[in-house]
Amino acid sequence: MTPVLEVHGLGVAFGGIRAVDGVSFVAERNAITTVIGPNGAGKSTLFNLISGLIRPHAGRVVLDGIDRTAAPPHLMQRAGLGRSFQITNLFFELTVFENLRLAAQRLEPQGRLLQPVGRSDRALARVDALVERFKLGAKASELAGALSHGEQRRLEIAVALAAQPSVLLLDEPTQGMSHADTADTAVLIRDLARDVTILLIEHDIGVVMDISNHIVVMHQGKKLAEGAPAVVRADSAVKSAYFGHA
Amino acid sequence: MTVFLDYLQFVLAPQMITGLALGVAVVLVALGLTIIFGLLDVINMAHGEFYAVGAYLALALGASGVSFWLLLVIVPLVMIPIGYAVERGLIQRVFNSPDRHVTTLLLTFGLGLVVEEALKVVFGPNTQRPPTPITGAIEVMGVILPNYRLFLIVFGIAIMAGVALVINKTRLGAIVRAAAFDRNMAASLGVPVTRVFAGTFAFGVALAGLAGVLLAPIYSVFPTMGRDFVFLAFTVVIVGGMGSIAGAVVAGLLITQIQALSSLVVSPVWSDPIVFGIMVLVLVIRPQGLFGRLGHA
Amino acid sequence: MHDAVPLKARPPVVDRLSLAMRASHVLVAVFVAAGLVFAAVGAAIGDTFFLRLATEALIFAGLALSVDILLGYTGLLSLGQALYFGLGAYVSAVVLKEIPSFWAAMAAVLAVSLVTGLAAGLIANRVRGVYFALVTFGLAQVAAKAVYNTRSLGASDGLIGIPIVPIDLGITTVMSNAPAGFFLVTLTIIVILYGLSAYFLDTPFGRVLVALRANERRVPFLGYSTRSARLVAYVAAAVVAGMSGALYPMLRGFVSPELLFFSTSGNAVITVVTGGVGTLAGALYGSVILTVLKSVIGSWTQHHLLVIGLLFMAAVIFLPKGLMGLVRPRIERLLGGDVK
Repeated sequence: MTPVLEVHGLGVAFGGIRAVDGVSFVAERNAITTVIGPNGAGKSTLFNLISGLIRPHAGRVVLDGIDRTAAPPHLMQRAGLGRSFQITNLFFELTVFENLRLAAQRLEPQGRLLQPVGRSDRALARVDALVERFKLGAKASELAGALSHGEQRRLEIAVALAAQPSVLLLDEPTQGMSHADTADTAVLIRDLARDVTILLIEHDIGVVMDISNHIVVMHQGKKLAEGAPAVVRADSAVKSAYFGHA
Repeated sequence: MTVFLDYLQFVLAPQMITGLALGVAVVLVALGLTIIFGLLDVINMAHGEFYAVGAYLALALGASGVSFWLLLVIVPLVMIPIGYAVERGLIQRVFNSPDRHVTTLLLTFGLGLVVEEALKVVFGPNTQRPPTPITGAIEVMGVILPNYRLFLIVFGIAIMAGVALVINKTRLGAIVRAAAFDRNMAASLGVPVTRVFAGTFAFGVALAGLAGVLLAPIYSVFPTMGRDFVFLAFTVVIVGGMGSIAGAVVAGLLITQIQALSSLVVSPVWSDPIVFGIMVLVLVIRPQGLFGRLGHA
Repeated sequence: MHDAVPLKARPPVVDRLSLAMRASHVLVAVFVAAGLVFAAVGAAIGDTFFLRLATEALIFAGLALSVDILLGYTGLLSLGQALYFGLGAYVSAVVLKEIPSFWAAMAAVLAVSLVTGLAAGLIANRVRGVYFALVTFGLAQVAAKAVYNTRSLGASDGLIGIPIVPIDLGITTVMSNAPAGFFLVTLTIIVILYGLSAYFLDTPFGRVLVALRANERRVPFLGYSTRSARLVAYVAAAVVAGMSGALYPMLRGFVSPELLFFSTSGNAVITVVTGGVGTLAGALYGSVILTVLKSVIGSWTQHHLLVIGLLFMAAVIFLPKGLMGLVRPRIERLLGGDVK
């Protein structure tokens, strides 16, 4: 099966520092590919390159067989890419409902853009489904800013998922979450992978080993290693990068 | 050749000196504005009115016999508690609202309106002009240079140098820069951030007032003088870079020179569009301005 | 994906933005009703002055509406909407002097506003925040100075001698100098502008604008170009301001460069903030209230701007949601929302 997302030799430099340098990998369909690496390895920059926030200086991004390199974020979204953020980036002054509805309204045909919001039944149905799945029912009418941190992180994922992307980029979804929330989220992500291809940045090694199909290790902007969890775990270069010894 | 030299001597050089005199005062106003933005992240739309207040204070005090030299000291000193009170009493109230930029902009816009009207009430709507403190002119290489403008240039440059010195080389300046860079960190290190903010605002306002004293004898004093001036000041700050001192100096002198020289070639009506055009050009090509921000390296 | 509870069994989630918009509709309906009563009374007693004053308040309410579309919904503070208002007034005046036709003037203003709004919008929307405010300010200043210095437009005196025009509404014809008649025509036009604005702001497109105000950085990831969205909002606001300005020469019989000055833009901002940013209704009520205030305070002292300025500052500090902010939540609750 064709991989949904391919990254070939992607690179960008800021003021002489190569934040991402010649990174290549593929994210297989309906699998969870996790990018790990010490702080400063370039993981979030990689996400920014793929999602269109930053223009790469080198390399290509191919989504569903089509070259989408340097496409701006709104065009990447329309091409089927969804993205959540490491630092919660919701519409805090708007309700949970509105956050989800905004993200889901792309499901409506173009004509609906200028019709009253109440007529967007596809989007509204999607919102209902997401509220259900992400257990946000009790808080649906609350402002996103009033939610607890864990709930906000859940909403981040839900918003990224709302427009039914084919590829979902999750940037440290469990950041700041409690143990219980983290475990729940891991289960949720694994469940999501049945319908969506997932590219994940994660620090919690337990979660990484538990749910990943494929791991890409980054270090100082370059890809250090990749493979199945067990393989990566045993890799001496990886151990060296993380712990400073083989 | 002599035609060119004549042009240089009788038209170009005097015009450049005029532009330089204005430029120096513009820099003082812009310095205050950029420091206030760089540190407080506040857009002070009333800044022009503080410039006007300085000019009016000079007018009033001068008329009651205070010497010009004393005015140069007294007016900024009087502006300091005014600025302090405005920052503590008004700006800090809205500082923590969600859309701070818009709110402070609106608040200072309202303040500017009130101050302008107050000036009109107290001093009347007519244009007035205090006497030129230093009359006469000297001749250098055949170019006639008015003494007051020369004084203005020298004095203004001295103040600019002083400001740069204080900000960059003194402990007080370091405290200000630290609070600009990371206010929470500075607070946890024992810096009285609230007072530093209020004091810096007061300082910026005092600079504007000083500029008002300096320019009053040349450009006259009228209630809307602040509003006309503030656009130029903001342009300088934008072109130089919001929060950059060097930027305010370079941009201020540059833009006023462009203004002065262009008025030799085209009608003065084009002065505003030219300044506006420069602002738009910079915003489009290099939105961060020529230099960086105050708190950041 | 599995739903644990059937959709119909759960109470429907309230769309708070739609609810707020409906509350505004209620307020505007009250406004219109009051306006109709006012017109009837004014016509009955043969009043001219107050009807004309109220008409002027409505015309400036249209300008305030354009400010609110940008500030209250898209999150953009424009300090230069007077550019389009004044432009609309001048274009209307020029057209009326050649062709004394109401519809010709309105059509011309519509076209000019669209084109100018697009051109200026392409410049102004390259930046945001205070830079946007300053660019819009600068644009209006440049235009104001240009008009002030153009002899064919009357220079500092402006254009006078705008003819009285018949306004053919199909079922009846209203003369532009008929106090009650023109008041009603203006009221209708302003309400139409309100209605169109309110309609579009409650569509998925309008919600993108609201999203821009709430968190512009996230909007591209929803699949929308922020540049395009802001441009559309800007052009729409330009048209609203222009169409409102077009009515001015019909009411006053002249136009002058003051219409393009910063004070006109500034007054509109004050109107919106005191009325209530992001409510649309606030623009209407704010304009009327401010006109009344100016007249009342103006009769005590000629320095009414001082008092208004102070009230404005007080509003910014103590009443950030404006006067509508005091009233609207109550109406929202009445309409059936559980608004906390």
